[in-house]
Amino acid sequence: MNAPARYELFVLEDGERAVEITEDTKIPNAATIKVIKQDHTLGNMLRAQLLSMPQVLFAGYKVAHPLQPYFLIKVQTDGTITPQAIIEQACTKLIALVAQLEQKFKREFSFKDAEANSAAAAAAAAGGQAPGVLDDPYGTGSTGGTGMWAAGRDYLDF
Amino acid sequence: MQGLEEQEPTVRIRALKKDRVNFVLENVNLAFANSVRRVVMADIPTVAIDIVEIETNTTVLPDEFIAHRLGMIPLISTNCDEAIRYTRDCVCLAGCDFCTVRLLLHVACQDHTTMDVTSNHLEVLPPDTRGGFSEETEAPDNGEEISKRSEYFGHPVGKNDLKLPPVLICKIRKGQELRIRCIAKKGIAKEHAKWSPCSAISFEYDPHNKLRHTTYWFENDIRTEWPLSENAKEEEPERDDELFDYNAQPTKFYFEVETDGSLGPQEVVMKGLAELQTKLANLILGLKTQPELDMMANDEQATNGNIAENTWGTNAGGGGGTNASSGGGWTSSAWGGGTSPRGSGWGGGTSPRGAWGGTSPNRRNAWNATSPGGGGSGSGWGTGASAGWGSPDGQANGWTV
Repeated sequence: MNAPARYELFVLEDGERAVEITEDTKIPNAATIKVIKQDHTLGNMLRAQLLSMPQVLFAGYKVAHPLQPYFLIKVQTDGTITPQAIIEQACTKLIALVAQLEQKFKREFSFKDAEANSAAAAAAAAGGQAPGVLDDPYGTGSTGGTGMWAAGRDYLDF
Repeated sequence: MQGLEEQEPTVRIRALKKDRVNFVLENVNLAFANSVRRVVMADIPTVAIDIVEIETNTTVLPDEFIAHRLGMIPLISTNCDEAIRYTRDCVCLAGCDFCTVRLLLHVACQDHTTMDVTSNHLEVLPPDTRGGFSEETEAPDNGEEISKRSEYFGHPVGKNDLKLPPVLICKIRKGQELRIRCIAKKGIAKEHAKWSPCSAISFEYDPHNKLRHTTYWFENDIRTEWPLSENAKEEEPERDDELFDYNAQPTKFYFEVETDGSLGPQEVVMKGLAELQTKLANLILGLKTQPELDMMANDEQATNGNIAENTWGTNAGGGGGTNASSGGGWTSSAWGGGTSPRGSGWGGGTSPRGAWGGTSPNRRNAWNATSPGGGGSGSGWGTGASAGWGSPDGQANGWTV
C-alpha cells in the first residue's frame, strides 16, 4: 500500500536534478558525479569511453546500492580539461558513435528488406512453394504492427 | 580500447526474420555492446495489461493467477512513442483513451468439453466506447495519440494471424465463466518485465575463449568436451603455439534479438539506439545546466535582496570571465570565503534548491523537447537567466567549456 511508485526508479521527480557534481577536495582535477535515475547501462559505457581518452587519469563508476537508482562516476583528468568537460566530451563522442551505428543499421536493414523481397519474388516466379523459409521478415500486414510502416510513418523519423 | 577509437563500428545482419534479427557488431568495446543489449532489453516502451478487474471468475484458477497471466500477454505496440502516453504523464486522473487501451475478456463454456481461453478471446475496446469500467474518466483533451495508432494497436499478438498459436490463459469446463476487464498501459521493462519487447537476447563474444574471460571445467581435453558455438566459425581458433595476449580486448559481438511480437526486431534495435542517445543527451544537458542553475539562483537572490542588479551583474560577470579563462573550474574560492561551490555563498535567505525547484517545470519541458541527437542545450535556459547578465549563452559557454 505504501510502496513507492515503481517508475521512481527511472523517472526524475519534479525539480530533481539529473546530475550532481562534487569536486574532490584532496585530489586535483578530480570530481565525483552523481547521475540520478540511471544505471549500469549509462555508467559502464561512459566509464569505458572516459578510459579511452588520453586526458583521463582515472575513471570509475559504481552503483552504490541496487535499490538506489543512481550511480557515481569518479573522474580525474591530467589538468588540461575539467572533469565535467571531459564527461561532456565523452558523451558527445558516444552519441556520435550511436548515430554512426544507427546509420549502419538502417542500411543493413534496408538491404535485408530488398533481399527478402527479391527472394520472395523469385520463389513466386518459380511457382515453387517455398517451405516457409522465405518468410517475409516484416509479414506484409498480417501482424498489424507493420501496417503503420506502409502508411509512410517510419520509426526512423525520430 | 584506445585502438578502437580510429576504427568505425560495423554491423552485419546475418538473419532477419519476422520476430528476430541476428547481427554481428564489430569495433566497439565490450561496455558499449553490453549497453546496447541492456537498453534493448529494459528501456523500450511497449503496452501491456496492467490493471485487471475481475467480474466473474468461476474457473479453477484464482484471480491473481489469471491477472498475472493476462499481464504477460504481448500486445502489439508499434509506434508506442507517439501512439500512447504514460499514465503518469497524462492529464487524466486514472487513465483515459490517450494513456490506456481497454480490453474485455468474456468467455463461458456451455458444453461438455474442456475449452481453452486464449489471448484471441481478448477484445480490444475501440477508444470512446464505454466499457463499463469503474474508473472511467472523460478523455481530458484532444491529443493526437489515437490517430497515430496502427490498426491493431493494443491487440494481442497473433490475434489477427491464424498461423500463430494464441497464448493460453486458462482452461474451462461446462458452467465455468470468465468475465474480465483489462486496462493496458505503456511502460518499460525496468518497471516490470512484461513490458519488455524482447523474449530473449543472445549475446556472445570471443567464442574460442582466447581472452580467457571464462574458465571451462574439463576432465581431459577442453576441445573435445566443450562444443564450439556457431559463432566460432567467424573467428580463427587459437593456435597451440600462440602466446596469451593479456592486453587483447573483445571487438566482435554476436547478437540475436528475439522479440515477443509486440514490436518488430528492426523497431526494437533502432529504438534501443535512440534510447541510448537520449540517455547520453540528458546527461550532457544535466552537466550543462548546472552552472546556469547556479546563476539563476544567484539572479533571483539578487532581486530579492534589494541589491542593485548591475553590481551583481558585473561581479558575476567578472567571476565568469576568470573561471572561463582558467578552464571553467567552478571552485568555491573564486567566490570568496570558503563557501560551498553550490552557491550558498550567494546570500542569506533563499536556498538555491528552492530556486531550482521553482524553475523545474521549464527544465522538464526543455528536456522532453530536446532531440536525442541534439546534444545542444541551454536554449531552454536563456530566458530565465537574462536579467542583469550580458548574454546568458555567452556565460554558459564561459562556464562549461
